[in-house]
Amino acid sequence: MNSFEELKSQWKGQPVTSAPKDGVQSIFDRIKVIRNDQKITNSILWTTVAVLVLFFVYVSAYRSQIAMTGLFMMIGSVLIRIIVELLSIRNLGKMDVALEASKFKELFRKYYQKRKIIHFGLTPLVIMVYCAGFISLLPLFKATLSSGFYTYIVVSSIVVLLVLGVFIARQIQKELTVLRALNQEVRE
Amino acid sequence: MKNHRATFETIYSDNYGRVLRLCLGYVKGDTELAKDLTQEVFVKVWENLNSFRNESAIATWIYRITVNTCLLQLRNKRYLTGTEALEKKTATEEETPFSNENRLAQMYACINKLNEESKGIILLELEGLPQKEIAAIMGLSHQAVRVRIHRIKNSLTKCVQHELL
Repeated sequence: MNSFEELKSQWKGQPVTSAPKDGVQSIFDRIKVIRNDQKITNSILWTTVAVLVLFFVYVSAYRSQIAMTGLFMMIGSVLIRIIVELLSIRNLGKMDVALEASKFKELFRKYYQKRKIIHFGLTPLVIMVYCAGFISLLPLFKATLSSGFYTYIVVSSIVVLLVLGVFIARQIQKELTVLRALNQEVRE
Repeated sequence: MKNHRATFETIYSDNYGRVLRLCLGYVKGDTELAKDLTQEVFVKVWENLNSFRNESAIATWIYRITVNTCLLQLRNKRYLTGTEALEKKTATEEETPFSNENRLAQMYACINKLNEESKGIILLELEGLPQKEIAAIMGLSHQAVRVRIHRIKNSLTKCVQHELL
């Protein structure tokens, strides 16, 4: 009663949807949005770098060896992670979507394998270096800041670290789900 | 540039319907999601138009981009979970289980149970593409595609029958 041929004819009998009149324009609008998003991301990155460098100069970090090392560890680790993320996004965007589907799927799978290295190798290292930098600055903060502000910095940084940890864990979980699905496909 | 845009406009109007239908199969028949996905496909068609070398038919090339773009959507939770429209549609049609709409909804549900590669193969088969062309799009041998289509056809037919009973 429902042979495949019947299903096929029902499939083909679906109402034909013609292209919307403003469809091409909406594609170009979308491309504009994508390019603007890229520009905004780049601007945010460079503004962050500028703010960090200004902060470095503002607190005269270059005068104290401890301050310089601590801030350098914090800023450097975050910057490296951001750059790696941007390169990773760029690599995904560069993948040739016109390839045969099986080759594309393999590229996509390899991309996620590499992401695993970033998540389980680089990211913990970045967090450790960042925390070590922050901890090395604590004696300096204690000596120069009021006890209230010092407590605020310590407590807020722990909260930020926890929130960030949850966010990163969720993101990793999401990507691992994709990788599992792709690996499953390879096995089937 | 103007010529390039005119070529793109022709490609868009000639292929919009088939790309949309294929995308519908990847998002369980949710029209709004499928339209968004179709837009993503044509963004990639525009971005890659310069690299099209006439080594294959334009439709084959577009189907490849569609199948691959739909695979990329594995990253996007929205496309994997957004099926409210389909659920509503199915719920209101309980009294006429063998209506065309209901059967289509069941087909979408059954196609969704397949893995991404099988989804691509059967959707192209439903579109009526020759197996040789499906093999060229999927990057599999003709023989492998033939065997896979036979297997998926059976499981899809059984699934739709089972879902309707």
